[in-house]
Amino acid sequence: MSIIEQLDFSKTLSYWPRHNEAIYRRLESKHAWLEERHHPDDDEAVDPLDNEMILNIGPQHPATHGVIRCVVKLDGETIKKCVLDIGYLHRGLEKLAESKTYQEFMPYTDRMDYLSPYSNNVAWCLAVEKLAAIEVPERAQWIRMIMSELARISSHLLWMGVSLMDAGAVSVFLWTFQFREDLYNIFDEVTGARLTVSHSRIGGLVTDLGEKGIEMIEDFIERFPVAVGEWEKLLNRNRIWIDRVDGVGVLTAEEAVELGMTGANLRGSGVGHDIRRFEPYLKYDEVDFTIPIRTEGDALARYFVRMEEMKEAIIIIRQCLDRLPEGEIRSDDAKRSYPGKDEVYYSMEGLIHDFMVTDTGVCPPNGAEAYHAIEAPKGELGFFLQSDGTGRPCRVRINSPSFSNLQGLESMLEGGMMGDMVVMIATVDPVLGEADK
Amino acid sequence: MASKQQPTHPKTLPFLFTPVDSSDESAERTNPHIKSSTDVPDVVSSLKERFGEAVLDSRVYAGEHTVLVARDHLVDICRYLKEELGFNFLSDLGGIDRFTDEDRYEIFYNLVSIEKEQRLRLKIRIGESDLEAPTLTDVFHGADWNERECYDMFGIRFVGHPDLRRMYMPEDFEYYPLRKEFPLLGIPGSLPLPPQTPEAGLTMDPFPAAHGSKPVKSYDEELSKDLSPERSENRSGGPGTDVA
Repeated sequence: MSIIEQLDFSKTLSYWPRHNEAIYRRLESKHAWLEERHHPDDDEAVDPLDNEMILNIGPQHPATHGVIRCVVKLDGETIKKCVLDIGYLHRGLEKLAESKTYQEFMPYTDRMDYLSPYSNNVAWCLAVEKLAAIEVPERAQWIRMIMSELARISSHLLWMGVSLMDAGAVSVFLWTFQFREDLYNIFDEVTGARLTVSHSRIGGLVTDLGEKGIEMIEDFIERFPVAVGEWEKLLNRNRIWIDRVDGVGVLTAEEAVELGMTGANLRGSGVGHDIRRFEPYLKYDEVDFTIPIRTEGDALARYFVRMEEMKEAIIIIRQCLDRLPEGEIRSDDAKRSYPGKDEVYYSMEGLIHDFMVTDTGVCPPNGAEAYHAIEAPKGELGFFLQSDGTGRPCRVRINSPSFSNLQGLESMLEGGMMGDMVVMIATVDPVLGEADK
Repeated sequence: MASKQQPTHPKTLPFLFTPVDSSDESAERTNPHIKSSTDVPDVVSSLKERFGEAVLDSRVYAGEHTVLVARDHLVDICRYLKEELGFNFLSDLGGIDRFTDEDRYEIFYNLVSIEKEQRLRLKIRIGESDLEAPTLTDVFHGADWNERECYDMFGIRFVGHPDLRRMYMPEDFEYYPLRKEFPLLGIPGSLPLPPQTPEAGLTMDPFPAAHGSKPVKSYDEELSKDLSPERSENRSGGPGTDVA
């Protein structure tokens, strides 16, 4: 008699009984990915201590990096099957976007991947600009690049601190958070907000990068590589850390592609797919950088890839600062992007345009549709937009990297050890604000 | 564009905030965000050659090729794209509610060829009376969750899907939120939430104020009222006294 027959969900649970029953039924009926792939020949041997256990982990669990619920079927300490239940942070962003103008949706993107809000802003703006064919001034593009790379460092720093803390090394968390604090101060100086930056505007940026901001960034990129070097000295040959992550959560290149993994998880498996190279946006085709790839496909490989990516980000920022041109930071077309505040305060036309851009905004032609993706810290973050000719999108589709990665995580967990689960979740680096939309 | 700046007659002044119906050809040509990866006319022509009638339409906007294919041939076309033309990565998949009488729903598939650096969008259309689409999980394993999400949001059933459960919403929810007729504020009572106080029943409406009713008073206020009855009498006539 299976466990489902014993449990009467309508009596044990006061709410959502059908939902929980469906998850348990799925766990029973599922053919695990690894079961099909690497099926051992001698599974006839019966362990006398063999017993099965179904365990609910989450949605409230400190190691799950958000509200993710894993329902796992254990055989001893081995995870036989796993069903992930997400949606606990579902806010219906795609539905909300249909009732907002393109500019109004910007603050919502801050709250998707809240570890790198700047990248989300840039992704949204680029998608709208592609849909409405708006040109962005050079300076704005370079500043967007600088800030996106800083956001990448910020996101990877959190990933590094948290995953090492999950593995038992709490001190790294404190070191990375010192630098995250510096980054937040830079964001505060440049954009006026620490977390929910909303700094991009359709057609450019809201404020220019000032002297003080540049100084802070230069100071940061001086100090940061030194610190990364020190961390690498501690970690790269650290027996405890390597033993913890080596060979954990292995995905081969074929599996990673088939499961639709993106970002560092894909590159850690030996697939050199990076949107910055694949379809260069902003000025990524004009700067010199390498895309780190590891072929092992385990948690350690993903760690090395992210460490290298942080160093590459510094190289990109250096080049951007050297080549940062003078000029406008917002498109001069008043019908499509906000006029400057001077114009709004001192001219009638500026005020009218400001009002119209706020009220209606850009109106891409009816039936236009476009997809634009960027390489966010977590992977390919893309927006698919469809216009019906009004100032509000007809359909917004968010292609979020965490969602794709979590799907791979479900398969990755199967066959792993219960104790490694936390490490696997950490190295996949999901952010539920983005995965749940 | 320059001729538009000087209208021949005052009445023909263009008011650019009015929705434009036809796509702006000049904007199309000068779009600064066109990527070389989405420019795949050879893939489209080879699809037309191979599948003929099954390729219903193809169009280009912002340098992106979109191919509308027949629903019944979708799996064959995707398998051909994957095995012959190298489109081995399914980047995205999702539904669109066009809110039309015929062929109301669309599903788009965002396929990527990592080796050849190409990206292609396929589309199928589905009528409201027959809300079924073939599943792609046999071709791309990664289509699993995306199809579940599409089912969750639009109610399109994927025939042959191994695990067609809702993705975000719980199974107890009976509506499809991304359909155009679904109200933005949700439907009161459609999704019970845990009780707000230990003794209370399920919360049937998470946003009572939005639907015109007063929210339940907090647990603390209930307690203080029990402890000091004279204070609660002083408050009679205020909100929340109907409980007593």
